Amino acid sequence: MKILVCLKQVPHKDARLELAADGSWIQDANIKFEINDYDNYALEEALRVKDKDATSEVIVLSIGPDRVQQSLRTALGMGADRAIQIWDDGLAKADSLAIAKTIAAVAKTESCDLVLMGLMSDDTNFAVTGPMLAELLGFPHATGIVSAKLDGGQVEVERELEGGALEVVKLPLPCLLTVQTGMNEVRYASLKGIMQAKKKPLDKKSLGDVGLAAAAVAPKVKVEKIYSPPKGGGAEILTGSKDEIAGKFVGKVKELGLL
Amino acid sequence: MAKTLIVGEIQKGGLRESTLELVTLARKLGGDITSLVIGSGVGAVAEELAKKGGGRVLLADDASLANYTSDGHARAIRRAIDAEKPDLVLISNTPSGWDVAGKLAAAIDCGIATDVIRIEQDGGDLVFVRRMFNAKFDARLRVSGSPRIATVQPGASEAYTGSEAGSVTKLDGVGGDSRTKFVEVRVAPAGGHDLTKAEIIVSGGRGLQKPENFEAVLKPLVEALGAQMGASRPVVDAGWLPHEYQVGSSGQVVSPKLYVAVGISGAIQHLVGMKSSNFIIAINKDPDAPIFEVADVGIVGDLFEVVPALAAAVKSAKGG
Repeated sequence: MKILVCLKQVPHKDARLELAADGSWIQDANIKFEINDYDNYALEEALRVKDKDATSEVIVLSIGPDRVQQSLRTALGMGADRAIQIWDDGLAKADSLAIAKTIAAVAKTESCDLVLMGLMSDDTNFAVTGPMLAELLGFPHATGIVSAKLDGGQVEVERELEGGALEVVKLPLPCLLTVQTGMNEVRYASLKGIMQAKKKPLDKKSLGDVGLAAAAVAPKVKVEKIYSPPKGGGAEILTGSKDEIAGKFVGKVKELGLL
Repeated sequence: MAKTLIVGEIQKGGLRESTLELVTLARKLGGDITSLVIGSGVGAVAEELAKKGGGRVLLADDASLANYTSDGHARAIRRAIDAEKPDLVLISNTPSGWDVAGKLAAAIDCGIATDVIRIEQDGGDLVFVRRMFNAKFDARLRVSGSPRIATVQPGASEAYTGSEAGSVTKLDGVGGDSRTKFVEVRVAPAGGHDLTKAEIIVSGGRGLQKPENFEAVLKPLVEALGAQMGASRPVVDAGWLPHEYQVGSSGQVVSPKLYVAVGISGAIQHLVGMKSSNFIIAINKDPDAPIFEVADVGIVGDLFEVVPALAAAVKSAKGG
């Protein structure tokens, strides 16, 4: 079994995000990055297949500047076999479809049985790269899965719907699955794993290396501006000392007739 | 806007409310409206949509479309797009909507904006407004080419309530095989922790930092208020509390008299589950946290200092 796991590096959950001066994106020069949370669960699911069948190969792939190598090394430390980084300045403003095309260019040469990735990324929240990649590879797909049972040439998955309902579907391999958070318990890289990771291959490829021209990844979707949501209608902020605030809180609860 | 195709959604055999929200959005943009209803034996739903503003309704009715599959739905939507050549395709951003929309965009090689909350007209072009960074920022997107696809957040517009003259046309060539096989929909067994009838809910998020703090820090406030305890998704994902505590689109949708959100930043998926609460008080150290936008009252500060003070004050107000 050959599994490709797509990892995106996103700003750290606790990073304080500030807007870039021109409003086109956040200031990303001096913040910490980490593997997108959803993708961690996808990686863990792949590693569990490998735990059961040591002949399986887990390849991790990330598109991004050299900072993503750290995330790829982390994934190798957790147990992935090899890593691929793709970067090109032409991808700096790439939209989801351009990213899917870039991954597809590599994935096609790898003949994977399974492609796993997060349902969405914590930065753009678009949630479309997975289904796009599946279409480009000619794979069936399922999004937002919370369980997967491999059984010979097929996989049965539970997709999370709304209000706690789950949809059960079966897909033939090869296929692509996007993963919900909470699907499993993500492992940490062991010290031994981290040491071994240093010797595992990490290939860096450019757009040219994967056979794509810059025009092939020209974005159709452009972020014109990002901004803090308009305030107003927002909360009345309680101020004062801790005890004054507590007193005001009690006052509000009393007004509601709940005390 | 020249021509919009609305992809309708069927829920429990009827028209999903979010489809009528797409009608409102499409009518605001103006121009020609065509809708699509996909399913098996759903002619009545198509008739209903035609009368409720869906314009000319295309009916993709085939036994193979009885349950949602990405292959079946993508095929039906492609047929409608090929037949109608719309400039804009609107799909609700629901579990079936987001499953099919990206596949469709890649197949057609067109631009897509997902989870859109508003579409504005700007000169001759459209601007798609949506949240990013888990609702911390809003974004304005330009999408080039035709057609353009937008998936729209349920609840972002009011459902259209007018009654209109419309028509239903059967679409042929929509049946076929699907590689993905639908097995069943499982409804998770109801847990013992029903939050939907609670008068007061105090929910904790990742800001509580570790599971023990739900007992040590949050619970005294829960007990002082006579409330029920809830949680945000990251807390449940991390296994700190069971799923039955989760408030949000994939957990319980609640509307208590008072909802207290502690250390919850306010991701959309949480807001959907609690924003219709009668009164919301949020406690968070980040003054820019999205939770303060839906809260009536906010406390900006360190929850480890604030929450014990609140618990003590409530206790003493109750007479110790």
